[in-house]
Amino acid sequence: MLSLNRLPLTAEFRAGARAGFRAFLPQSIGLIPWGMVTGVAMVGSGLTPAQALGMNVIVFSGTAQLGTLPLIAAGAPLWLIIATALALNLRFVIFSAGIAGNFQHLRAPARWGIGYLLVDGVFAICLEPMLRNQNPQWRLGHYLAPALWAWALWQLSGLLGILFADAAPQTWSLEFMATIALLVLLLPMAGTRPMLVAALTGGAVAIALHGLPLRFGLLTGMVAGILAGFAAERWQPAAVEG
Amino acid sequence: MTGPGFGDSGTVWLTFFLLALATTLPRASFIVLGNRVTLPSRVRRALRYAPAAALAAVLAPDLLVSNDVVSFLNPRLGAGLVVLAVASRWHSPFLPFITGMGSLWAFQYLA
Repeated sequence: MLSLNRLPLTAEFRAGARAGFRAFLPQSIGLIPWGMVTGVAMVGSGLTPAQALGMNVIVFSGTAQLGTLPLIAAGAPLWLIIATALALNLRFVIFSAGIAGNFQHLRAPARWGIGYLLVDGVFAICLEPMLRNQNPQWRLGHYLAPALWAWALWQLSGLLGILFADAAPQTWSLEFMATIALLVLLLPMAGTRPMLVAALTGGAVAIALHGLPLRFGLLTGMVAGILAGFAAERWQPAAVEG
Repeated sequence: MTGPGFGDSGTVWLTFFLLALATTLPRASFIVLGNRVTLPSRVRRALRYAPAAALAAVLAPDLLVSNDVVSFLNPRLGAGLVVLAVASRWHSPFLPFITGMGSLWAFQYLA
């Protein structure tokens, strides 16, 4: 983890931290419902409050947590759960590549901590300002302040959801909160035609092969969906975005 | 206390640990290794379609399969369609969850 006492808390660092925090604050409020929903879904799927809290801290990825909960609850094999999380999160390799140049002067443990804290929203507000400013301490502050804020908000709102779900009766089917969250996540993704084709193919193949053991249909569905996305790109190259 | 489908506590924590690797390794990849490697465009495109394909492949059986049988008339699918309609119409963060759970309970009561 990051050792904060080793960080250079200079005036440039603080100025960067203020700028990053201010840029991220408005949209960070959007993390609160997601954190609460994830907390509710974890406990609703059968995790104890302690396990749910642990998952929130250790995994720290809303999409991967929500996306694997139905599989964990259904007793899917471990390798399939991990493969699904990878499919959901490998896109972060692109974000990591985009932002990596800012942190190469830091030591490896600090860079691991920075990687662990990387989330979509923080990446989005950091990329452009950090390219413009040449001071490495300003850039570090601009990343760390919103990233730590996002982490704290996620843990606190998750805790609220966990406590609520723990007090709610089991007959409320609160595991369905994960399904709702995944639908809301999927909807804007399916905005372009190749993405829609990828999603429809993935879902259709998973349904067609649902009888196969070890939920093999899920893996086949993911692969088929990616291939279908490629194919759809070729048919209508003008619709492809960067 | 463990819910349906959960193995022993050790398995749960092992799952979390491996999930943490699966989520942290991609995020930390270039930040830790530096920009020594570049991604071919084919890989970048595959990474873009993977989340949509994976989400749909997780969701579809969740909505359509109950007790190993594909069913187009079940409370979960009904509630899922309500969620899609609400989420595409309004951009409120809470509304899909309120209407989704509400319609699930209504359909469960009717079924």
